[in-house]
Amino acid sequence: MSDEFRISSDLAEEMVQHCKEGRPNEACGMLGAKAGETVKVFRMANAARSPVRYSLEPSEQLSVYNALDEQGWDLGGVFHSHTHTEAYPSPTDVRLASEDVPYVIVSLATEPAEIRAFRIIKSEWGAEDGEILEIPVTILG
Amino acid sequence: MSVAVRIPTVFRKYTQGESQVRVDPGTIGELIGQLEHRYPGFRGQVLTDDGSLHRFINVYVNDEDIRYIQKLDTEASEGDTVSLLPSVAGG
Repeated sequence: MSDEFRISSDLAEEMVQHCKEGRPNEACGMLGAKAGETVKVFRMANAARSPVRYSLEPSEQLSVYNALDEQGWDLGGVFHSHTHTEAYPSPTDVRLASEDVPYVIVSLATEPAEIRAFRIIKSEWGAEDGEILEIPVTILG
Repeated sequence: MSVAVRIPTVFRKYTQGESQVRVDPGTIGELIGQLEHRYPGFRGQVLTDDGSLHRFINVYVNDEDIRYIQKLDTEASEGDTVSLLPSVAGG
């Protein structure tokens, strides 16, 4: 389990740009990682098409997993935007968290955008409650 | 040859960290039975108490969602890949 979220400034900018392009709705996607460092931003559609909710389309999620396998990458994280609130997991984020990877939140409430990362620890994966554990974000040159 | 099953991150504590495991061909229900035998507790993560697929799990055989074919009776054959995908959502 990585205790740090590492991403280059270029990929961080790509993630933020995807989030900005999604406004007024939340935007989302997944991250490919190799040796603990983010190597790919998968820009994905928000199937919920909502300013306060996001969900990944399972068929698009499958395509990302196929790409990860083909490239030999790990799933490095799930990201989504908060358009008007801080970059901190909402109760809905906690309730629906389902992957054991960093959950990266991009807040567009400030300029520049704020990027924070969290793990949401649950006793059982379908549990509604979870512990929020912030992990440091390192943006590399 | 066998069937490859992709294990999502959240279930890898059951598979000793393996992201993909191999099982014998069969229906998805039978495959889950094989996984339960090998990794006790696995079935309860994927199926509800009444034996149906957990609503926050999507299962694909290659690129077909089993909910739209024969659900747990869908066959996975030699060389197929079964993907277990947890729903990813939030707000």
